[in-house]
Amino acid sequence: MAEMWISMGPQHPMTHGLWTLKVKVDGETVVDTEPDLGYIHRGVEKICEARDFTQITTYCDRLCYASANTWSHSYIYAAEDLLEVEVPERAEYIRLIAIEIQRIASHLMWLGAYGPDIGNLSIMVWCLREREMMMDLLQELGGSRMHYNFPRIGGVKRDLPYGFAQRARAKLKLFLNRIQEYEALYDESTIFLVRSQGVGYAKPEEMVNHGVTGPNLRAGGVNYDVRWAHPYSVYSELDWSAPVERSSIKGADCYDRYRVRIEEMRVSASLALQALDKIPGGADTHYEPEDPMILAKAPSRAPEGTSGAHHFEDSRGESMFYIAGGGEGRGKQPYRVSIRSPIFITIPFAAKCMIGYKVADIPAIMGSFDPCIGETDR
Amino acid sequence: MASSDWLDIVGWTESMTSWSMDNVHDVMPSEDIDLQVTIPSTWAWPDPITVGPIFNLQDGFASIQPALEAFMHAMIMCTVVFGMMMTTMLVIPYIERKFIGRLMDRLGATTTLRSLWVGESGVTGGEWWNKLPFGVGGPIGWTIGALNKTWGNSHELETVSRVNNRSYHGYWFLLPGFFQAFADFFKFATKEHIVPRDADKVVFEVAPVIILSTTVMVFAFVPFGPHIYAANPELSLIFMMAIFGVAPLGVFFAGWASNNKYTLIGGMRSAAQLTAYEIPLLITVLGVAVLSGSFNIIEIVDFQIGTDEGNVWNIFMMPLGALLFLITMIAEVERIPFDMPEAEAELVEGWWTEYGGIRWGLMFAAEYMRSYAACILFALFFLGGWEAPFQDTLADLPWVGGITEFGLSLIPGVGWVLLKAWALFAVFVWIRASLHRVRTDQILEFGWRYLLPLSLVHLVMTIAIRILLWDGGPWNLLIPIAITAVSGGIFVILAIDEDKDALEIQRRPYSTQAVVKASPGSHRD
Repeated sequence: MAEMWISMGPQHPMTHGLWTLKVKVDGETVVDTEPDLGYIHRGVEKICEARDFTQITTYCDRLCYASANTWSHSYIYAAEDLLEVEVPERAEYIRLIAIEIQRIASHLMWLGAYGPDIGNLSIMVWCLREREMMMDLLQELGGSRMHYNFPRIGGVKRDLPYGFAQRARAKLKLFLNRIQEYEALYDESTIFLVRSQGVGYAKPEEMVNHGVTGPNLRAGGVNYDVRWAHPYSVYSELDWSAPVERSSIKGADCYDRYRVRIEEMRVSASLALQALDKIPGGADTHYEPEDPMILAKAPSRAPEGTSGAHHFEDSRGESMFYIAGGGEGRGKQPYRVSIRSPIFITIPFAAKCMIGYKVADIPAIMGSFDPCIGETDR
Repeated sequence: MASSDWLDIVGWTESMTSWSMDNVHDVMPSEDIDLQVTIPSTWAWPDPITVGPIFNLQDGFASIQPALEAFMHAMIMCTVVFGMMMTTMLVIPYIERKFIGRLMDRLGATTTLRSLWVGESGVTGGEWWNKLPFGVGGPIGWTIGALNKTWGNSHELETVSRVNNRSYHGYWFLLPGFFQAFADFFKFATKEHIVPRDADKVVFEVAPVIILSTTVMVFAFVPFGPHIYAANPELSLIFMMAIFGVAPLGVFFAGWASNNKYTLIGGMRSAAQLTAYEIPLLITVLGVAVLSGSFNIIEIVDFQIGTDEGNVWNIFMMPLGALLFLITMIAEVERIPFDMPEAEAELVEGWWTEYGGIRWGLMFAAEYMRSYAACILFALFFLGGWEAPFQDTLADLPWVGGITEFGLSLIPGVGWVLLKAWALFAVFVWIRASLHRVRTDQILEFGWRYLLPLSLVHLVMTIAIRILLWDGGPWNLLIPIAITAVSGGIFVILAIDEDKDALEIQRRPYSTQAVVKASPGSHRD
């Protein structure tokens, strides 16, 4: 068969969002790829320039539908760097619990979507079933189901609700059991192994050169995790280590990326459980909103010339906010907001990884990189 | 040598047609009708000339009566078989919906099967059998009670608590899924028919006809029972397998004619898959024919269940053949894990993409019909068709043998065929819910490298068994017991070995990146 271009997208099951992957195929073999992004560019960075620092959190929630909490926290840390706020330790623990539960929910969404990518629908239903538990927990914290608007500059919106610790412990322990079910369905299936092993090799040095971060990078054996490399919350006070997959000499394949996310869900659950045990003031006490235990006073204006930036370990990689304060006498609003999206950098790299594999590997490889187009197009 | 079965639809139809035709014959006027015209002689022809016939309607009818009877008989049987197929096929999507819903909601097959007997809400509110009218649910309750006593049913067990996970909907919840197929049909039937502008319109329209007609035609040769079949030629097996292989050609037509890149790749995949799996399938079926000594499906079944020869189900004589048949049939009907031609993740339903409305609906119905036919064929070839499990052994039991035999004789054979087929379809659904989709090159590699040699081995083994071990009568029971034991042992050993392979995961044994460049410069270095 002669070579031909196939346009996959913007509406295509492989895309997990809204973008186009142009694939040049020779029969069943992928010869060339060309990603085409930007279908849902909303101009979040520009919108933020006309909003107060406190209002921006809601926009950052909407950067990624699968991992809203991590993105709002990512912004909050940058804003606190800009406004020079000292956050109470209890608030940091509550934030860590929220972030890690959100990370589990996001990885569950990924695992659930990865099943249909390679032809199994059962895992999707199973994962969404457990994701419901995580979303219930987050709903208790933030009040809504997907976009929580939970963190505040200087702390968090509310303290842990009554009985939250008990429910969270029970659900996380149940979830740790259920991870074994996913592994039973995936790792013990030879068909999954032949579909994921040896497919979509990504060399660690290439990933570093391209700026790929997060689980995708750790699957290649590079132990870089912002949570320990540039510790921001109370991660340094807890007992954990970032899961790193020992990949083959060819680099990380889809199976590595799958394994590292499974392990990361375990680590996240353990982090949240540890935080519930260690939280200052106790997990069962309940402080009123705006109590100094959970919310520090923060200035609402940033003088001209100041700037804040923060690395943050998002569910998909290293996200970064850069905020310039002041400007034009409007100190309540940022002069400039810039967002580094990990997946915006990963998608072109993933598209390059597909070359040489079969057409059927396209969703397997693309899905293994966990794309989220909301944050990519911003 | 057809088995005894009181549901003798073929016999009833034959007697009814011959009775009605005899009556037609009898009411015809028996006297001759004289239409002869005699031209008197003239100078030109000295003798008078007689022109025209003398009719006898009865005699005339008698000459065409056998043909008419055969035609009428065939029409009635086709209608009966087709209607039976269409009505019983409603169960197939029903099984798919209900079973896969339970599989996906719960831990896995064991819990799912358990939920089937415990009921939707387990112990507490789910004693649905007590709500059946006239107390007919009593035996069900006793059975479930016995099962629960045997395997323990308490709230401490995780499986039971998972079964309880779902709320109670009563036993009427079972019904709606059954008639969903009608709703689907009407929805498809009312949709607009769209043909792509650049499609090859003739082939585009012909392809669904090819797929649907050949699929329905398969059922002409599939006997539902010893006396329920539309046609029973001497070589019905060959006819049927030939027709079974036509539909993928229609798939290829559809993929090519749609003028769409996705459908093109889907059609190509279908053609490649057909070639790779049709040959092992035919060789496997050939083994069945060799063992039973016949190309006629009814005789194949009778060889498995007849008391004077054979009398052992084929699955005990050739477990390897049953396994090969199952795998190749799943590939043939394009279900997960072998549904590459319609892979929805990358090809967006592949060759179906451009079809819509009733054509799509009918082709999907054809797909389920093919699955159904595959299940029925498995039941006929390997599971003894219309015989109850271990019927002869049960009938030979002391004390209860007679009453058991009488009880089993009340159940018509078609019931067993359908039950076995539905159970097999549940296995198809189970496979679909637990496996992923295999890639094209892996499917082809699996077909050519493993299934083809294995099917040849199976054929040789079958010939050896038939020639060396068969003495013309029933099988010596030691033979199937030995075969089944050896096969089961090999299966267990292989299963244990697979667990050891888990250690090799780190070594990436399944590296499948293209070694040969597809075209110059295409390969990533």
